[in-house]
Amino acid sequence: MLEIRNLHARIADGREILKGIDLAVAAGEVHAIMGPNGSGKSTLAGVLSGRPGYEVTEGSVTYLGRDLLALGPDERARAGVFLAFQYPVEIPGVNNMYFLRAALNSVRRARGEADLDAGQFLKAVRAKLKLLEIGEDLLQRGVNVGFSGGEKKRNEIFQMAMLEPRLAILDETDSGLDIDALRMVARGINALRGPERSIVMITHYQRLLEHVVPDRVHVLSGGRIVKSGGKELALELELTGYGAYGDAA
Amino acid sequence: MSAFADLEPYVEAFKARPEAAEPAWLARRREGAIRRFSELGWPSRKQEAWRFTDLRPLQRVSFPPAAGACRASAADVSPWRYPAAGHRLVLVDGAFAPELSVIGDLPKGAWLASAAETLRRRPDLLEPALRETDTIGAQPFVALNAALFADGFVLALEPGVALDRTIEIIHLGRAAERSSQLRNLIQLGAGSRATLIETYAGEGAYWTNAVGVVAVGAGAALRHAKVQDEGAAAIHLAHNRVELGRDARYESFVLSLGARLSRHDVHARFDGEGAACGLFGATLLRGEREGTIASVVDHAAPGCVTREYFKTVASDRAHGVFLGTIGVRPQAQRTDANQLSKNLLLGRRAAIDTKPELEILADDVKCSHGATVGDLDDAALFYLESRGIPVVEARRMLIEAFAAEVIERIEDDVELRAHLGRHLARWLAGGAG
Repeated sequence: MLEIRNLHARIADGREILKGIDLAVAAGEVHAIMGPNGSGKSTLAGVLSGRPGYEVTEGSVTYLGRDLLALGPDERARAGVFLAFQYPVEIPGVNNMYFLRAALNSVRRARGEADLDAGQFLKAVRAKLKLLEIGEDLLQRGVNVGFSGGEKKRNEIFQMAMLEPRLAILDETDSGLDIDALRMVARGINALRGPERSIVMITHYQRLLEHVVPDRVHVLSGGRIVKSGGKELALELELTGYGAYGDAA
Repeated sequence: MSAFADLEPYVEAFKARPEAAEPAWLARRREGAIRRFSELGWPSRKQEAWRFTDLRPLQRVSFPPAAGACRASAADVSPWRYPAAGHRLVLVDGAFAPELSVIGDLPKGAWLASAAETLRRRPDLLEPALRETDTIGAQPFVALNAALFADGFVLALEPGVALDRTIEIIHLGRAAERSSQLRNLIQLGAGSRATLIETYAGEGAYWTNAVGVVAVGAGAALRHAKVQDEGAAAIHLAHNRVELGRDARYESFVLSLGARLSRHDVHARFDGEGAACGLFGATLLRGEREGTIASVVDHAAPGCVTREYFKTVASDRAHGVFLGTIGVRPQAQRTDANQLSKNLLLGRRAAIDTKPELEILADDVKCSHGATVGDLDDAALFYLESRGIPVVEARRMLIEAFAAEVIERIEDDVELRAHLGRHLARWLAGGAG
């Protein structure tokens, strides 16, 4: 599904943040990328989703056999890549429903599927809203406008559920969530697990991984993956902290 | 090229006008007005109010008044019609087109007719509209209009008359290198109420020069919308003078989608206490268009409220201008006024000038103003793109959101908001932001 080889990337001020990432995620797998602050977690999410402001200086990213880095952010999304934002953006004046329908129909067209009409769309929306316990009234507002922190994160997972990506990258989706919201988000993620879908969860803490059990756990530190293992690695990190991996937690 | 040479065709056109059976007072005022126009000449960029306006498209050729030979069909009118209108008056090249108009049933005490018909049957109604020809900011276009106008519309409501259904006035421009000199009058008696939408549309290199005189009597309320969407070669100048009586309400919304040169001037004056004026609008420009909103609000009475909010979007090589002055006279204590100009500059070759201004001579007032110029929000753009929305569509959504926010300021008229929203969407569909 996703193969990252020797990925180097720097930010606008010239500092190199990613210093040779190697990672392979097979179809159906859930991987967790853990690491201390400043290890490059968000940069990796940004580079994979095509966020402006990063320059890839070396290496490659292959997604379903295609050069992912050659695609614009909208093309990546239409090809089935989804990024759940650490800080979802508020967009006043763009109605949530209108936005979501435009997004869904763009993605469906790219998959060779027909647009949903208003009735079909509403039906799909209602089913997924229930899963994440989001009130329908939130969708009448501007995108993320007036949402609490937890509602914004749930809205990200709701969008993911609607768009049904092949590869989902969740950037610190667990941060700022209380335990109930964490459970709802985890339920949303688990509902999407399947043999054709891969999930990369980027997180600082182990607690999301209690609810969404990963197949593989990687430790990112100083712009490189310094250790990989099974789900037990996350527990180990919880006990020992990131101190052993070079950076302060 | 001397200024006098430029004015000559208009003075000639005035002399060559066919003999009309007009009242003697009107003939005298027309004579006075053409003299005034000759004295004033074209505005110069040295005048503060015209600093940002490039009048060359108007000066390159002359635009004598249209002869009324052009005709329009119902199909030309239908895209511009306001679905919720109850009364419709259509003017083509500045002349009333009865076959396209449906005045409909009017309550007793309401007058709605073309200016030409009003001159024949009720000249007394039109007289106030010509009273102060020379005094509006030494405006040569107003003087020229007074000299040459042949038609326009008149809405006059006697005290206490309420029109429940919206009136629509559609002006279509057709004749190249001709001008439509329109004189419009809206007069609302005490306690009366109306909603009116004017639409200016057309094709070709014509010039529309419209002057509106609006009087909102004590306790009366007028909602006055305008949609202006003309061809890339057309010129549109409009000047509205608004007087508000005690406790009067005036709310205007201007959606301007441009012309080669378009300018909407509004001068509002509070003559009585406790009145309120809302001036709102969105201007969206592409190509080589230049569009100006120029407003002057004169607080000459105490305890009045002004809310002013204009937005401009300029892309390609377009040029948007906002000039806003709110003046508070010494006697206008307890004035509550604010003015906001927000602008979206898309592309390196587009330009926006904005100049909000307060002149406060009273001490017990609450006044504020502000202006911003910016580009689309990159974070919002990336968010939309990251969900699969193509960049062109994402930009369109953000431009639409920017402009729609000011349309939302129209309270309690869902149909009008929807109508303006449709025009906005049509403009957005017409090309890249």
